[in-house]
Amino acid sequence: MTAPRIQAQPGDEQDDDRSVPVVVATVTQGSRWRRWLVMGALFTGAVVFLFPFYYMIVASLQRSPNTSVGGAFPSLGNLTLDNYAQINASLNLWQSLLNSGIFTGGVLLGTLVFGVLGGYALAMLHFRGRGVLFSAMLLVLVVPFQLSMIPLYVLIARDYGLGDTYLGMILPFAINSTAVFIFRQYFLQLPSELFDAARIDGAGELRTLWSIALPLVRPALLTAVLLTFIGPWNEFLWPFLITKQQAKQPLAVSLANYISTVQASTVNPYGAILAGAVVLAVPAVALFLLFQRHFVSTDLGSGVKG
Amino acid sequence: MRPSRPSRRYRHGLAAAVLAGAIVVLTACGSSGGGSTDAASAHGPIKIWYSNNEQEIAWGKQVVDAWNTAHPTEQVTAEQIPTGKSSEDVIGAAITAGTEPCLIYNTSPAAVPGFQKQGGLIDLSSFPDGTSYIETRTGALAKQYASTDGHYYQMPWKSNPVMIFYNKDLLTKAGVDPTKPPLATYDEFLATAKKIVDSGAAPYAIYPAPSSEFYQSWFDFYPLFAAASGGKQLVADGKSQFNTPEGLAVANFWQQIYAQKLAGNETYTGDAFADGKAAMAIVGPWAIAVYKDKVNWGVAPVPTATGMKADQIHTFSDAKNVGMYASCTNQGTAWDFLKFSTSQEQDGQLLTLTGQMPLRTDVPATYADYFAKNPDYKLFAEQAARTVEVPNTANSVEIWQTFRDAWTSAVIFGKSGVQQAMTDAATKIDQLASQK
Amino acid sequence: MTTSATRSPVPRDHPAAQAAGGAGGGQHRTPLVTRLFGRQPIGMLLAAPYAVFIAVIFAYPIGFAVYMSFTDYYFTAPGVTVPHPFVGFDNYKTVLTDPAVLASFGHVGIFLILNVPLTVALSLGLAVALNRAIHFRTFFRAAYYVPYVTASVAVVAVWLFLFSSTGLVNQILGPLAPDPSWLVNSVWAMPMIALFVTWKQLGFFILLYLAALQNVPKELYESASVDGAGAWRSFRSVTVPGVRQATALVLLLAIVTGANLFTEPYLLTGGGGPDGASTTPVLLMYQQGIQQGKPSTASAIGVVLVILVLIVALVNRRLTERSER
Repeated sequence: MTAPRIQAQPGDEQDDDRSVPVVVATVTQGSRWRRWLVMGALFTGAVVFLFPFYYMIVASLQRSPNTSVGGAFPSLGNLTLDNYAQINASLNLWQSLLNSGIFTGGVLLGTLVFGVLGGYALAMLHFRGRGVLFSAMLLVLVVPFQLSMIPLYVLIARDYGLGDTYLGMILPFAINSTAVFIFRQYFLQLPSELFDAARIDGAGELRTLWSIALPLVRPALLTAVLLTFIGPWNEFLWPFLITKQQAKQPLAVSLANYISTVQASTVNPYGAILAGAVVLAVPAVALFLLFQRHFVSTDLGSGVKG
Repeated sequence: MRPSRPSRRYRHGLAAAVLAGAIVVLTACGSSGGGSTDAASAHGPIKIWYSNNEQEIAWGKQVVDAWNTAHPTEQVTAEQIPTGKSSEDVIGAAITAGTEPCLIYNTSPAAVPGFQKQGGLIDLSSFPDGTSYIETRTGALAKQYASTDGHYYQMPWKSNPVMIFYNKDLLTKAGVDPTKPPLATYDEFLATAKKIVDSGAAPYAIYPAPSSEFYQSWFDFYPLFAAASGGKQLVADGKSQFNTPEGLAVANFWQQIYAQKLAGNETYTGDAFADGKAAMAIVGPWAIAVYKDKVNWGVAPVPTATGMKADQIHTFSDAKNVGMYASCTNQGTAWDFLKFSTSQEQDGQLLTLTGQMPLRTDVPATYADYFAKNPDYKLFAEQAARTVEVPNTANSVEIWQTFRDAWTSAVIFGKSGVQQAMTDAATKIDQLASQK
Repeated sequence: MTTSATRSPVPRDHPAAQAAGGAGGGQHRTPLVTRLFGRQPIGMLLAAPYAVFIAVIFAYPIGFAVYMSFTDYYFTAPGVTVPHPFVGFDNYKTVLTDPAVLASFGHVGIFLILNVPLTVALSLGLAVALNRAIHFRTFFRAAYYVPYVTASVAVVAVWLFLFSSTGLVNQILGPLAPDPSWLVNSVWAMPMIALFVTWKQLGFFILLYLAALQNVPKELYESASVDGAGAWRSFRSVTVPGVRQATALVLLLAIVTGANLFTEPYLLTGGGGPDGASTTPVLLMYQQGIQQGKPSTASAIGVVLVILVLIVALVNRRLTERSER
């Protein structure tokens, strides 16, 4: 740990572009060496993590498959965007993306609205049935989807008649229990002084929720968004079961269908599959890059300190 | 108040479970059954599913259009389902929910016993001309598709008799005669395979999928067993038939191939034959369209122990059939459409558009013109008369999974003795096949 | 929230104290509403949508699965009535004496032993490192998050290529490469899956820890280093306790994910691996319940799995969580 920076406030380390005057009491050779070690470890880790993804992109740009080691480095003669064009020709890319968006958006909406309320209630409020609800939430987290798959399908497709609809797709995922758990943990972690102050001032529960808890929940919201987004975006099995009309199928399902038929008709089926995978991954990564800035910032410290 | 936390949570958890249980009891008691009326003669619009591979879509569209033009009051709507691993799961789930269509042109014979047990399939023999139509069209082979009660719950539709494809260029490179490669007996096949790998022409001689899914044995063990046994199925009359000298010879042959590293034991992503990683493949006529421009291919029947003559060799059919499903209300139309889509003309369209063999008698003669123009397919058409289907027996999927588990253990990975593994599998399979 | 009421000097007859029920303060005057609905009944309203969701979407299927595990059940088309005889614990007996099922639980055990400590250690370590890195922070965060975001189906193909017998890894290792190669080796198959899942999930856990690290007050670090604590010491005494809640969450999620492993064995080792060396309970449930049409034994496996995981999760909570308010 480097020696303390005087005058540093919480939240400072996010300001990459604002240089903070760093006054260090002592800087030893050891600490600089340690910093290089940290950076080195991070770089190595990043390379290891990114390599398969990098390879995916390279292979998706190849005209003919080159599975040797040399193929890991893009060679100019073998580059083409054909695989991507192929995908666009074989399935209605925009419609599928839209369906994925609606599916994921619906789940996000349900989770962020009702999940926050539920997490807050579980953490902060005492009401009858709180324990039962908490146990039920844990149970939902633990149970694998395959156990409930067929009865759930019967329930939604037959009893509710929601086959081939967006609502039928969204319903089993509508409120992500992991996100609720995260919200609950987060609220539990907040300093109780904030809520006590509100209570002393005579605020009712709803007002406390609205003016104090919700503005503070942003970091947890972002965690929850990043977590909840991935599930429906990459989910294959459930939409596959519930939709037969191609116009309603999200991208993950369309791509899987495409994969099962592409072997026969392209020069580089492997490349086409990876191109599809890249297409599926790009929006998620883009979303993350857009929001990661806000992710770790917190104004919490200033609320607690004097 | 501070009771000991775990016990309070335990009590709440228990309360939640009891509540759930109560809900379930109520639902189970009140589960509704849809009334099934006599729909066998009803006519009206119907829905069908077919597979989503390009050529079958082309065929499907034209047959639906042809029908719809001629029958404006009995319109057919078609949807595609993917042919991948999960298609049977989707159909099973749809049957349970009652959301499946009238006809599915992608029904795997191995799944039929399970669907029948669910009550999901309609007995085609219950139509006045049901049995006669099927048996007239498909001939002697039709019996393999009948269920244990002698009725037909599926319409045999098309087959892809598997044979050995070889890459002529790679064989030449290895010093093997590409016009008549020695592949007729197990010994010859092994020698040729060894020659290919030793010469470096290709890393592997042949590369069937070594993974553990229940259906993979249909493409390594089963074709050779069909040939060696002269057309026997894995199981018949509730007893396994593969724990015999012929069956063991097949298993030992494959065990040799894996032991000498002539085939790969890890899953290859992609097509090993198309990529030149394997000089041979066991595939059906659908492969002709796929490999047309990629590989300079030749074809031979699967090997047998003694080198049987080509016109006596049986093989696996890899058939896909049509089922009529329980949720169908306009069964009259469905049956008529089924007959329409398997008429001589439509079967000819199927042949032309997809290259797959309709399951009807004497295909080479009926479509002589086509084969004159496409001699590549003639060999398959002749082979199509001698195909063996997966047995129509209870617990069909579990039986194949049991077999596959024994196969991967003993033959592919050499973990146990072949004889012992086959005997153990046969015992278990006998038990499964004789259940109701 | 009981502590707050007793800590702050709030006069007993203050409306806020009365609304809060004055726990520890008011003696016999707990209102009926409070007795029936708890101290903050508004909570029921706020939690209602979630509760209804769970009841509707999960209570029926899970309850039904439990019901199936006690009967001889298979799914039928609507309108087809078939007897579903109650068989008591027969399915459980079958399942618990089936060597394949027991082996699959063993594989999950191996997975958890490898994956969970590695996940916690690596994600915390990398989060701490990331927290202190000033340059390239965005790049690093994105790099670690990317595997989490890509669909397993796609990434598996790359791993299959990398770890095949002629793949990059074996070429680098040369004579040290195991034979048969990694994913078809019955000793290495499960550890490889553990490695794959660790790599894939790490990004999310790093983010969880990053968020938690923000809440560790800087003053603690400052006072620790004023007291002369080195980097490792302050890590152990400040960081680790400070992120305890996050650790509990990471442990829980990692255990649950590991126990419910299905996609990776299904894709990476082709449905169960070499000679069944990488089967998992959920994979068996899928095979038996959905492919082979035996949902009763599949449900029995599922119920056993859920019970085991709940036990592990409860133990985890006892060990790591502090008292809640």
